[in-house]
Amino acid sequence: MNPLLFELPLALVAALSGALAVTSARRAAWIALVLMATTAALLEFRPSDSLSPALLLRLTAIFGATLYALPPGLLAWRALAHDLQPRRLLATLAEHPVVAVSAAAGLILGTIPLALPIEGSSVLLRGAGVALLLIGLPPLLTNRYVEATARAAVVTLSGALLLRASILGALDLFSSIAIAAGFVALLLIGAAVAGQLTKAED
Amino acid sequence: MIEVQPLQTLTAIRALSPLLFALLSLIVLARSDRFGNRSDAHARDGNAAVLLLSASSVAALLAGSGYASTLNVGLITVDPSEPGRLLVTLGGAVFALIVAAGQGRRAGAMGQVALFGLAIIDLALAIPIGLAPIVILLVGSASLSALAAGNREDAQRARAVFRDLRTVGVLLTVIVVAELLRSAIPLSATDPSYATTSSLTAGVALTLSLVLLGMIGAFPFHHRLVRIFESLPIVGSLMVGVWIPAALSLIIFNELSLLSSSVSEPIGGAVVAALFITGTVTLLFGGVSALLHDDVGEVLGFLAVGNAGWLTLGAAAIIVHPSAVGPLLVALPGALVISLFGLWRISIRRHYELTSLQELSGWARRTRALGVVLICAAVSQTAVPVREFFSGGFDIAGQSGGLLITFGALLGAGTLAAAAIRLLLVGLAQESQDVHRTRKGKVLSPAAIWLMAGAILISGAAAGLINIEAAASGLLRTDPVESAPQNSTP
Repeated sequence: MNPLLFELPLALVAALSGALAVTSARRAAWIALVLMATTAALLEFRPSDSLSPALLLRLTAIFGATLYALPPGLLAWRALAHDLQPRRLLATLAEHPVVAVSAAAGLILGTIPLALPIEGSSVLLRGAGVALLLIGLPPLLTNRYVEATARAAVVTLSGALLLRASILGALDLFSSIAIAAGFVALLLIGAAVAGQLTKAED
Repeated sequence: MIEVQPLQTLTAIRALSPLLFALLSLIVLARSDRFGNRSDAHARDGNAAVLLLSASSVAALLAGSGYASTLNVGLITVDPSEPGRLLVTLGGAVFALIVAAGQGRRAGAMGQVALFGLAIIDLALAIPIGLAPIVILLVGSASLSALAAGNREDAQRARAVFRDLRTVGVLLTVIVVAELLRSAIPLSATDPSYATTSSLTAGVALTLSLVLLGMIGAFPFHHRLVRIFESLPIVGSLMVGVWIPAALSLIIFNELSLLSSSVSEPIGGAVVAALFITGTVTLLFGGVSALLHDDVGEVLGFLAVGNAGWLTLGAAAIIVHPSAVGPLLVALPGALVISLFGLWRISIRRHYELTSLQELSGWARRTRALGVVLICAAVSQTAVPVREFFSGGFDIAGQSGGLLITFGALLGAGTLAAAAIRLLLVGLAQESQDVHRTRKGKVLSPAAIWLMAGAILISGAAAGLINIEAAASGLLRTDPVESAPQNSTP
């Protein structure tokens, strides 16, 4: 398979869904996060012949933790269809031009060599990695909302892992297990703390 | 095959003994309400946690870190290290004493936090250094802080966990970048179109140091540590704020040592100078702030910040002299000293239920056994830096090359000792009304004798009078399979 045909759409979807994960309201943000994590994992582990255990572990961790962390009633079909309308998503991105520009700038920046041993590495993986880092890092450092910060942490870490994978390839099994646990912890702790703060403030 | 199976089981038990005790606590504490009165359930949970912590400590000591404790499962190798086993052995005993002294409604849960924390430390120090052990410690720290906070609707606690979550989110990203830069070093030596070896090495040293500073709570990253000590229960505070950072510092010191010894030129940039200055400022800031604050939790938090100053100076020293063992010996005594202060705090809180130092005026007159605990803490607080300054293993004066750094570090150590003495002087002042109303503690009750004996032993270990921390000076194993860029040619 032509790597460009596989990587280009995934890199674009990862950057776009990453931007939506940190800018949208709750329902669309969670769906975008799952999409971003899935595409980033597919780019990182490149399942060509068979699914690697590390990829399965990553996807299971992200899906499981997201399902557990999702606030109740978030997956109601009618509301989902309403929140995920393309017009609404575009409006969200238009309301946050800095994030949208960061995503585009990241994709472009990824194509420029950075004096690291990257000329042999995948340009698209690098572009998606830099884009996710630029999208996720500012809200991770500054956002006041717990769930949004946890989502930004997942986006940023996915970006760093993509950048790493573009040069070094996929993680070894032990590191994959540790990182999968990290994704689970970020999402579950975010959900738990958000619940506690809401109760305490009520 | 029949003979191999029991041997492998025994190896697995030896390799994973702290983790097995942590998992066992889930079963034991879940079923403890079936035995005895429901009203005694909390005390029973606490006692079970104390027993499990003591058993975990003894098991780690017996299992050791030899060949018989190395577990190989497919591609995964768990090879317990001497520092890891030492931290579990001492940590199990220390936390057993703290949980026993604290009791309370959540004693069982706090015991579990300690058991899982020690299991995480042991596991992280049992796998080759690289991405995985640091990620395990970072993720474990955030998870344990959430577990220690519990379900209580306390906004302050929730915000402390939120701060921890944010820190861990950032540091996970930084450590991935550090690994990326480190893997690029071998290539920089073969192709001049890459960044130079010196700049990449300095970049790795900088990113690793950032992870260290963020996690141990050095200035200006101290807010997280102070809030943890102010709001979380003391077992959770000590585990997340002191013990896990101590294990992390051992791993990063080893990484820095390997990094520094692998290049011929000294590590460039301002990394070493920045670490020496940050360490000195952290020591001074921790000591002065501990002297100025009134809340006992905050005072302990700033004492822990001061301890982070020593670890920062250790990181600088090990970059300058990669073979120095002095910095490796600082982590464990520091954790023991702050744990002694934690033991004092939990005992004081149980007795008086006060958090303000002013309101605690005269406490040492009423509870003399606790006075002994604090004297032990103050003695070891003073002995640790003195030993490191004069042992030659650390040699800040020689390695920093600056009189100002040496003077600042000595002054910082002095203010930390003064902060500890201030706590004792408050106890010897005239009794406040709150303290006066409280029942006078018996110095010779079995619980008080047990508390004092434990404090004296911990203090002896921290101050180096009992020489047991030398095992922590061993270097950790490196990853035999070096990460190499996927597209690099041999």
